Amino acid sequence: MTAQALQQRDLAVVIGLEVHVQLETDTKIFCGCSTESADDEAPNTRTCPVCLGLPGALPVLNEAAVEAAVKVGKALDADIAEETRFHRKNYYYPDLPKNFQITQYDAPICADGALEVSVEDDRREIGIGRAHLEEDPGSLQHEGGSIETADHTLVDYNRAGTPLMEIVTEPDFRGPGEVRAFLAKLEEVLEYLGVFDASRDGSLRIDANISLMPADEMADDGSVDEAALEAANRTEVKNISSHKGAEKALAYEVTRQKNAVERGREIEQETRHWDESRGITVSMRSKEEEKDYRYFREADLPPLQVADWKERIPIPELPDARRERFREAYGLDAEAAAKLTSTKEVADFFEDVADRFDAGLAATWVADDLLGELNYRDMTITDVSGRLDEFARLIELVDTDEITEKNAREVVLRTMLDEGHTPEEVVEREGLGKAGDDAVAAAVEAAIEENPDAVEDYHDGEGGALNFLVGQVMSKTGGSADPGTVNGLLRERLDE
Amino acid sequence: MSVDAFITEETIQGADDGPLADRTVAIKDNISTAGVRTTCGSEMLADYVPPYDATVVERLKRAGATLVGKTNMDEFGMGTTTETSAFGPTKNPVDESRVPGGSSGGSAAAVAAGEADVALGSDTGGSVRCPAAFCGVVGIKPTYGLVSRYGLVAYANSLEQIGPLAPTVEGAAEVLDVIAGPDERDATTREAGADADYASAADGDVEGLSIGVPTELIEGADERVIERFEATLDDLRAQGAETHEVSLPSVERAVQAYYVIAMSEASSNLARFDGVRYGPETDADGNWNDSFAQVREEGFGDEVKRRILLGTYALSAGYHDKYYAKAQDARAWLKQDFDEALAEADVLASPTMPVLPFELGESLDDPLQMYLADANTVPVNLANLPAVSVPAGRADGLPVGFQLIGSAFGEREIIRAASAVEN
Repeated sequence: MTAQALQQRDLAVVIGLEVHVQLETDTKIFCGCSTESADDEAPNTRTCPVCLGLPGALPVLNEAAVEAAVKVGKALDADIAEETRFHRKNYYYPDLPKNFQITQYDAPICADGALEVSVEDDRREIGIGRAHLEEDPGSLQHEGGSIETADHTLVDYNRAGTPLMEIVTEPDFRGPGEVRAFLAKLEEVLEYLGVFDASRDGSLRIDANISLMPADEMADDGSVDEAALEAANRTEVKNISSHKGAEKALAYEVTRQKNAVERGREIEQETRHWDESRGITVSMRSKEEEKDYRYFREADLPPLQVADWKERIPIPELPDARRERFREAYGLDAEAAAKLTSTKEVADFFEDVADRFDAGLAATWVADDLLGELNYRDMTITDVSGRLDEFARLIELVDTDEITEKNAREVVLRTMLDEGHTPEEVVEREGLGKAGDDAVAAAVEAAIEENPDAVEDYHDGEGGALNFLVGQVMSKTGGSADPGTVNGLLRERLDE
Repeated sequence: MSVDAFITEETIQGADDGPLADRTVAIKDNISTAGVRTTCGSEMLADYVPPYDATVVERLKRAGATLVGKTNMDEFGMGTTTETSAFGPTKNPVDESRVPGGSSGGSAAAVAAGEADVALGSDTGGSVRCPAAFCGVVGIKPTYGLVSRYGLVAYANSLEQIGPLAPTVEGAAEVLDVIAGPDERDATTREAGADADYASAADGDVEGLSIGVPTELIEGADERVIERFEATLDDLRAQGAETHEVSLPSVERAVQAYYVIAMSEASSNLARFDGVRYGPETDADGNWNDSFAQVREEGFGDEVKRRILLGTYALSAGYHDKYYAKAQDARAWLKQDFDEALAEADVLASPTMPVLPFELGESLDDPLQMYLADANTVPVNLANLPAVSVPAGRADGLPVGFQLIGSAFGEREIIRAASAVEN
């Protein structure tokens, strides 16, 4: 379609994604090297002949990577291949130890799945064409500049051989917001499965294909004719590394392309690089021809029969189902259910607490207090994974009336997070144990004794006098008395 | 007087004790040896020192063997004469004006010249059996998956196996006993045949053995070779074996299919030699693409470049189906032919090479003629089967090899039959 013709018509946006996800396994996909990433790790130390691609070394498939892929396939409601096999993708690039990548071609481990996402109030189903396993290349460090200006480039093979899953969606997205929602949901699902760590550098890498189409060529249900899509010039945007980045990059691209069309310019078929720091996409190369990767079977890896793996490998309850169940079983509202299922660890902790104490108390304490205080400190639940039983004990202290909610919230929880103490230590140190009946009664007596003016005001019907006396009692008991109880006791004594 | 069998002579002492404690072993220079350079006969790897031992080297050392050096070979195994080595040719100890065969020519020559008791070679399309035949020694190409390839620098990884060379069938079988068996570092190795005790099969007892002779593997062979082959069959019949003709109709496509598959795999296997970590220093100026090209231009010899180019072409879009896919079909048909022939016979027999050893320099200018000399050996690799070449006397003073082919993991049968040829 010519630029002029496009110019006359309303435009619709069509986006498809290729998402590369690092799978969390103990060892690399074809060797025994650790995948543990340490920031201070020296380059090329987490390597062996296999992931270095030394002459004569052979790959051996890490079945844990296949298991992780099967879990992803199940969560995406995909078909799992009966037999999984590997191909070589041949191309030359300095970060590729063998100048070919072991990947999957004609028999991807997962095919034909879908992921449902909510965009505003809309439910959208995004089709997953395929998802396959492959090895990560090494990483390049351009010394003294960017890829274009560097004096020389160093290669670090620590990353080489990390298991990657490439998830290829159908061109089902109609805008950058949907892409962001999909990626956030995908990350959430992958974390629930325990196969993904979003905090890891480079754990998520996204290539997006974006085309502008005449809106009237789209079917009413939003589906798009394949031939029409082929005819539209497609832009591939690379180097996106987060769901927020994806939304920004694609929003930029939509604007750039619409502007071009409005000015009557042709949109070129090309690959563009997302420059996160500048917030723009930059042309890398025009795509006149498809690359020829000369795929052929990797004979060093015999096919693996995985027909029964789908049944054999369980996956945990996924976030959507869990949210729904939390609402029903614990009577939570949508917002609390969403907060309490934001990660699997939060949901597990909530459920543990809710089953032991009152569900409402558990919801308030986990969703509002704990997550709120963590958030305030830029922490997440994973930062306190090892201390969850301490937080449960804190809730227990409240539930059994041993400390007041106010003290629990404002003193104990905060001190626990800031100083790393157990709840018992904080209660002990701050003397927060609820005052006994005798001590409260004595404080009530003393307050009445010491404040005859206030007593008189009370009898004269001044409302503020009682509050003043309650405050006196609270201060005498170090805040450890229950204000309601104090209030009752004072009235009882004054009304005698 | 040296036949130039070695690229690197260096002694690596194995364990004090073991089945090979009194044996010296020469190792083909495409089998990785920790701390000892492993060149594959190529300028590209002239300075490459592996940090690890191949599994077979580990097993030889554990068995008490003394490694005496790394033997000459056609560059990356690509040749039938050991003349494409960047380190110069090896001479045939039987007749120094002749080639020792290839690509494991250095290993065969070392054994024939008595410079090592036994040797390891690798056989992608005949590279153990051809030099064994030309130098008058025994060479075994094991079933694909019997011997670990971990540490063998790949030429065509779906076809090749490491195999032993020795003066006698029993000597080769003793080495096979040490190196055979599964390896967790090579996913294509199998449990089958791990504890077969191959040396004990070399008992010369062929009473009642049924030998199939594929007519297609006799046609076109040199008359002098056929004469020695027929005489050997007579001898086996005299010892109680029975022979009959069988047919392998798909074998006429074997050489074409072999070269398409081998070159395709080679184009990928050799891609890693790009100058980043291996290869000569060049004065290439420009981007990494130019630098890769320059290193490969200078580091590889002509035959290697020829095969990489042809293999790249065969895998390319638009040609993949025409060449690579068809070659895979031919490979499947050939396997079926072998299955049928071996259903009617215990083993199959043919001349190992259809020709006598070439004069040095004779075949270099005509690669196609050299490829056709592999007609009897490549079908075995395409079908993943075991085969042995055993000396069958001489013609015009030059050694002739007699090839026996077995069923998958049927090494004991071919070892037994081959030991009868020695009688």
